[in-house]
Amino acid sequence: MKKTTRSILRVSIILSIIILLGVTLWFNLTSDKKTVQVGDESIDFQLETLNGDSIQLSDINSEKGVILNFWGTWCKPCREEMPDMNRIYNEGHDDYEIIAVNVSEDEQQINQFLSSLDEKLDFPIALDRNRDVTKAYQVGPLPTTIAINKNGIVVDKKEYQLTVEDIYSFVEQSTSE
Amino acid sequence: MELNKITCESCNYVNPPGTQLCQSCGKMINSDYDKNKIKDLMRYDGSAIRSKTRSKSVFDKIWIFFTSIKVGVAIIAIITIAASIGTIFPQEYFIPVGADPQQYYTENYGALGKIYIELGFHNLYSSWWFILLNGMLALSIIAASIDRGVPLYKSLKNQRVKKHPTFYNRQRLNLHSDNVNNIENIVRALKKKGYKVEEDHNHYLFEKGRLSRWGPYINHIGLILLLFGSMLRFFPGMYVDELIYIIEGETVQVPETDGQYYLKNNKFTIDIYDEESGTVFDDTLQNINETVVSNYQTDFTFYENKSMDVVGATPDLQKIEDYSVQVNHPYRFDLFEIYQASYDNSQMKSMTFQLEDNDNNPVGEPFTVELDNPHQSHEIADGVSVDMRAYAPDFLEIDENGSLISETPVAKNPAFVFEVFDSESSELSLIQIMNSTDITENNEYNVKFVENENHWATVLTLKKDLTMPLIATGFVIFLVGLSIGSYINHRRIWINTDDGFSISAHTNKNYFGLKKDINPILREFGYEEILDRDSQKNNEI
Repeated sequence: MKKTTRSILRVSIILSIIILLGVTLWFNLTSDKKTVQVGDESIDFQLETLNGDSIQLSDINSEKGVILNFWGTWCKPCREEMPDMNRIYNEGHDDYEIIAVNVSEDEQQINQFLSSLDEKLDFPIALDRNRDVTKAYQVGPLPTTIAINKNGIVVDKKEYQLTVEDIYSFVEQSTSE
Repeated sequence: MELNKITCESCNYVNPPGTQLCQSCGKMINSDYDKNKIKDLMRYDGSAIRSKTRSKSVFDKIWIFFTSIKVGVAIIAIITIAASIGTIFPQEYFIPVGADPQQYYTENYGALGKIYIELGFHNLYSSWWFILLNGMLALSIIAASIDRGVPLYKSLKNQRVKKHPTFYNRQRLNLHSDNVNNIENIVRALKKKGYKVEEDHNHYLFEKGRLSRWGPYINHIGLILLLFGSMLRFFPGMYVDELIYIIEGETVQVPETDGQYYLKNNKFTIDIYDEESGTVFDDTLQNINETVVSNYQTDFTFYENKSMDVVGATPDLQKIEDYSVQVNHPYRFDLFEIYQASYDNSQMKSMTFQLEDNDNNPVGEPFTVELDNPHQSHEIADGVSVDMRAYAPDFLEIDENGSLISETPVAKNPAFVFEVFDSESSELSLIQIMNSTDITENNEYNVKFVENENHWATVLTLKKDLTMPLIATGFVIFLVGLSIGSYINHRRIWINTDDGFSISAHTNKNYFGLKKDINPILREFGYEEILDRDSQKNNEI
């Protein structure tokens, strides 16, 4: 009897410390790295576009796949991939939409950049003035491009300048079921 | 290890398994035990330390490992050393906001900084191994306390009043006399001094200050509460410590509130002490020759978002109240507090320019470009205007198609292309803060930089700590335990009149005080002072 109380006491104390430690470590590891990864569900957002319209991810995503491109005018790879994306976008975008999310720049800077391009960008440019969306997606380096399929699942994520092949691959993945 | 009951060879008393000192005569009866530790054994009156009696399952082995004082001390030592290394360089959350840690440590602290960050010391206090060490410390404290506390409780609860004569001789304080007449008086006198008496025929046990023995255990309960509280800080919603950076005039979301609250910085103020205020401090203020700040203050408006919609959507803000935070005078809402922490005026807000003609004569009024929203045309005199055609906040180069390239979005090295119109013509020039380069040929005008104004931003900290009551209670209990253990002495005196008058005494600390309890009484009733084995030894040397 005494012996059993003793083992129950020992086992329960050791187990509870191990469990509490495990929970603490788990909270600690998951607390700061909530980056949206491939396989995660996308986070809905609503932003104003450069044209003054309002754009909401879930509205578009209900019918089409979505490619989110986080960019800034000061970022060279972002500037360089824009014309490629625009060309591929203009080959037809019935099944998907590109949303170029500008990270916290004022409209003068964006317009200045757009006017320096040879052609007009045809996809919508969303203005993430307070970095709300950038923070929600935990976007680190620019450019970051995320493909979301029609089911609202993130299917690809790249944190570098996309090649033409990459862009086609993004289009294909975002339009897949 | 012995699992059987042990019969003492010299007095034939039957002791429980694992006993080190015979409970009757105090003779050492377990040959496994290190003979140098006899003094230590008296702590539990020689009763069995539980972990030393059996070892079977994995749990028992873990348990026994952590009951060891050596292991406990090693864990404390490692935690202490690691925690001190963590203070050599700043932790990651103290380095400037936005700096790349890898780069920051290497640049500021060289090779050592690189090693520091490689080994994870820059996030020491939340690193997995530091948490693990603290968990091990908790287990060590609990296991060691239970393993020692239970035998202690038993040994103190079931004390035998009757002790063998050799037990008397083994105590540091003892005395034997043939005078047995005054025993009643001695009992009464010791009672008067607050001793509790137990009697068994002609044997007596006097005891006081038993609580002293529980001091370390109370102390340990405090430590466990402390560790538990610090563990809870890792649990979501228990602990928040975040910076909020707001430029004057801007509204930001309060972090950690899921977009429910917003703050608008209406005004940030720094007040300084007036050198001629007519107070006693005037002389000092004049002598030190620099300004002394009397107040840092942020006047803000606190809003609640009434339409908590999707991310990025325009919030529907409803004003809750205006408030001014000062250092140490935080704003409180829900379970949060907002403190004035710092300020920043390193970000450029606007730049002012003056148009000059070729002879350096000013033309018209100076004009100011707001860098956050810089698309403006400036009418500076009749018929003369300046348009800003391009702007790069952090000018790097001009690319092949003539646009300005910025390296970062931060206004660190602003450059502008201005177009100056007068009634007849227009001309272009590129301006960096102090340089100006003509783009069109034979320009008539220069745009000269006059001054710049910086943003005033307040830096607030958002705090929430639900673990504080627990941690504070832990500290109080810790100190109570420490005081009980330090300032109360557990004193025991044994007396018998089996063969003349025998007295011996034991305490866990302060034998001097114990002797002061006993000697006046002995003297009063015609005895010699009690013998102190240790002071005799010292006298011989």
